[in-house]
Amino acid sequence: MNYLQKMKGTTSSPPRVSLSEVFWSWLGSFLGIAAVALVHFRLLSGSELLLVIGSFGASAVLIYGAIKSPLAQPRNLLGGHVISAIIGVTCFQVLGGGALASALAVSLAIAAMHLSKTLHPPGGATALIAVTGGEEIYALGYLYALVPAGSGALLMLAVAVLVNNIPKRRYYPEFWI
Amino acid sequence: MALNSKGSGNEARHNVLQDRDLQALTEQDLIKAMQEISGYLDITPGDLQEVYVLAYAQAKKRILSREAREIMTWPVYASQEDQPLQEVIELLARTGVAGIPVLDSQDRVSGVISEKDLVQRMQGGGQSFMGLLSACMQSKRCPAVKIKASLARDIMSSPPITAGPDTPLHEIFDMLAENKINRVPVVDGEGGLLGVVSRDDLLQALSVLGVAKS
Repeated sequence: MNYLQKMKGTTSSPPRVSLSEVFWSWLGSFLGIAAVALVHFRLLSGSELLLVIGSFGASAVLIYGAIKSPLAQPRNLLGGHVISAIIGVTCFQVLGGGALASALAVSLAIAAMHLSKTLHPPGGATALIAVTGGEEIYALGYLYALVPAGSGALLMLAVAVLVNNIPKRRYYPEFWI
Repeated sequence: MALNSKGSGNEARHNVLQDRDLQALTEQDLIKAMQEISGYLDITPGDLQEVYVLAYAQAKKRILSREAREIMTWPVYASQEDQPLQEVIELLARTGVAGIPVLDSQDRVSGVISEKDLVQRMQGGGQSFMGLLSACMQSKRCPAVKIKASLARDIMSSPPITAGPDTPLHEIFDMLAENKINRVPVVDGEGGLLGVVSRDDLLQALSVLGVAKS
């Protein structure tokens, strides 16, 4: 196929999931984000720490809505967020905010996730937020990788393991390591 | 998306499993299969088809590369060149085996006696059992009388078509097909008998491909 032919697409969208799957995805993500949000708004509201970042909304899609995907597995969830956070913070600290730091943060995070087999789309968001997230984020420095990135992911993972396995035909995770 | 299966030249020769069987797997089949799994499968039907074709070709290659030593029968019956044919026939009758390797004085495989060889000799050249039966019905004498006094070496096919212990399955398949025989003795470097691969052994080995019932 030549360069332009490739752009036409070669196959179709996979089939839609069952309504049962829709329900359990909804329930899992509701409880997962609720957990993170409750800690954030109730426990951490006076502090400089935060637990809710936009990338967790993205993680919820994967770990509650596409639980069979390799991108949704615990290794990818935790590894992806932590590695991307470290790379994002580093880019900010070296280059400050701005377009270059933003582009490098995301692209380097993707490369690092690929190499470490922890590819997780929300990781790209975590890296970007480290550069564009504002003073609250910048003030954390590398702590960002643990709170919110690592610990938020861990909390959501706990909910995922507990809720995803309730229905008979569902199981999670596919692998740990 | 059309499904093209490109085998190597080697695979294309083997009618064991038609590549059209692979082409018979359509995206619709895959979509239906995906629908039976309740979760969201993070792969497109096209990519799934590609994986399937590649994996299947790989499995086929692996199965067809199995070696004679893995599928041959051992121990097997064998006869001696100077053994009276009548004894050999009795052995075949008793054991229900249709063919047997023949060994020389140094226990090397020098020929094979099979039902086909016997039918041919009794008819004086004809190949089929039915031809023999017909001749038998028309004559007063049993055609077997002609060869009753022979020795194994008089009747055997020689030189024998043999395989080595590491001969791959697909080569043995070709041997049986091209020479229209039903068994191949497996021999070592000196011609010593290691076992026999029969058509049945081959079918058994290939049955995992869904070609024949095992």
